[in-house]
Amino acid sequence: MPSRGERRLLERGSRAVALAALGGLLWLAWRPPPPANARVTVDGTAALPAFLSQATRAPVGALALVIDSIPGRRERDWLRALAGAGTAVTWRRAGATALRGDLTGIAITAEPVVDPSGRSRIVAVGPPGAPLTISDEAGGMDSASIASSGARVLDATVDGIVTGGGARSVATTAPRDSVVLRPVLVLANAGWEGKFIAAALEEAGWRVDVRFAVAPRVAVVQGTGGRDQAATIAGIDTGRYAAVVAVDESAAPHAAALVRFVRQGGGLVVGRDASSVVALAPILPARPGAPITPVLGAIASDQPLRALGGIALSAPRRDAVVLDRLGGAARGVAARVGVGRVLMLGYDETWRWRMEGGEGAPAEHRSWWSAMVASVAYAPLAPLRPATAAQLVDEAPYAALVDALGEPLPDQPSAGAPISAIAWQRLRFVLLFVLLIGGLLAEWTSRRLRGAR
Amino acid sequence: MSTFTFATVQYESGDWDSAPLVPANLIDSIARYTEIDVAPSGVVVPLGSEAALRYPLLYLTGHLPVRFTAQEKQVLTRFLDRGGLLFVDDHNHDVDGMFHKTVTEELEQVAGVLRKLPNTHPLYSSFFRFEDGPPNTSHELNGWGDNLLHPYLMAAMRGDRIAVLYSNKDYSSEWNFHPDNKRFYSVDNTRFGVNLVVYALTR
Repeated sequence: MPSRGERRLLERGSRAVALAALGGLLWLAWRPPPPANARVTVDGTAALPAFLSQATRAPVGALALVIDSIPGRRERDWLRALAGAGTAVTWRRAGATALRGDLTGIAITAEPVVDPSGRSRIVAVGPPGAPLTISDEAGGMDSASIASSGARVLDATVDGIVTGGGARSVATTAPRDSVVLRPVLVLANAGWEGKFIAAALEEAGWRVDVRFAVAPRVAVVQGTGGRDQAATIAGIDTGRYAAVVAVDESAAPHAAALVRFVRQGGGLVVGRDASSVVALAPILPARPGAPITPVLGAIASDQPLRALGGIALSAPRRDAVVLDRLGGAARGVAARVGVGRVLMLGYDETWRWRMEGGEGAPAEHRSWWSAMVASVAYAPLAPLRPATAAQLVDEAPYAALVDALGEPLPDQPSAGAPISAIAWQRLRFVLLFVLLIGGLLAEWTSRRLRGAR
Repeated sequence: MSTFTFATVQYESGDWDSAPLVPANLIDSIARYTEIDVAPSGVVVPLGSEAALRYPLLYLTGHLPVRFTAQEKQVLTRFLDRGGLLFVDDHNHDVDGMFHKTVTEELEQVAGVLRKLPNTHPLYSSFFRFEDGPPNTSHELNGWGDNLLHPYLMAAMRGDRIAVLYSNKDYSSEWNFHPDNKRFYSVDNTRFGVNLVVYALTR
């Protein structure tokens, strides 16, 4: 049993230890920043958040970051801030060479499709063959590998923020805009072609106005313009129509308005019989060429368009694009005119495809015509979400990382074992705290044992 | 240019060819009043043949009982689903007649229930204007057949479009004359036929 003197000595020693621990803790809390030349290596993206928190309180002179997945937006911004505050930040990709391709990451965008369905076109790019999962706030949308082209395209209705990525990189996006789709005007003689084009477009979701010429000064007018024929025709402008389908020569009286409409930005689809309208010739992307003989019996085959007669489109303008080619002949050619677009088609009687084609023919005919009109339609954008929503997405995390920190360092062996700076800092706090509590407890216990308070 | 060809339906039961002059008469009227590119003669197309799908407006008439074969029903279903219009006229003008009873049964199996078509329907103003709905025929006014004036037509719809138009008014008799004889009429009684064709080509 220690004597009273020994106990006092022990108690003083314990108090001294506790005070020293307290002093150490106070020093750790209020100590000046470490020397500017201190260098820290953080190995692994998972360790980054804890390090960043610490490095903000105790700035480091240089940070060497070795990542095994793309840091999130928050960490990147934090790193950029540290770099701005004077920390020299360098980074490189970890892992075997074969895995480094994955770390170029996924980038993803969602843009509105010019289509009445309201879908968005999601384009994800990344390393070819990399697994990719796309989902939105409603659930999974697609799961596949990125094609050899390095991209995957998906047209879908989007609910909220879209997330795409794999194990090592995740990108998010959200449609920022929607398209404003005005009605489509169909100009035709009363006949099956005009009727079924209008029907196909309506079934695809377009709002359709029609003007079917029936007799001299008599036309059947339907749609948003009501029965007021003059209003429907006088209003061929981009404020009223997204596109006009000129099916045949009945468009001739409106040719000047159509040319003006296209130059304003409107879209014009010129059917085979309308291509003979002289006043439309200056805006046509090609010239009517040789007649094409339809292939008998092909209407119910897997290439029903071969069963349709018509013409080949020849001598396309230099800036024209062939959108539809069949059997070596151009059957659909498009070009920009002013700020609008013109698509010229060389098919006769596409309605036969719908009526006589195979099982899915009505849907195929509908999709085809909808796509033709969509390819030229005037579709101004309208903001879809508040601007703040766009700030929540992270469309190209790898590019953003390079933008924040510069290019990664070339491959090199790790410069020695990484210092676990964070762990050491924490350990020192814990040790000092244990010493503080231990010293105080020892003193208190000793005093109680000798009967003092 | 897609040419309009008037097509009469040939079905396996009954007398499908009971009004052979109707096509020529309506073709004459279409050429007379409109700019529609119309074939100078009509065609007869078997209802059980895929060829029926080449003619999105079909005309069907007769006096005798009608029973469609399975193949005819299949083709007719596809025809209607894809946007075709079938015009059926009761050549008996008799709601108690066998044609009416049987063909309406068959049509309702394929196309759904036939309902009254409002007399304000766009069919009655697609070219000529018929304020009171379908024009009466001389056979109705003379008291033949069921001795009734039918104030409306019946229709089976696909959305807002007429898929099957059914008449008890006996236009098949009314229009079954040589077109040259129109000159003897103060008012051309085939004008409603023009409305029918214009409606089919534009709706």
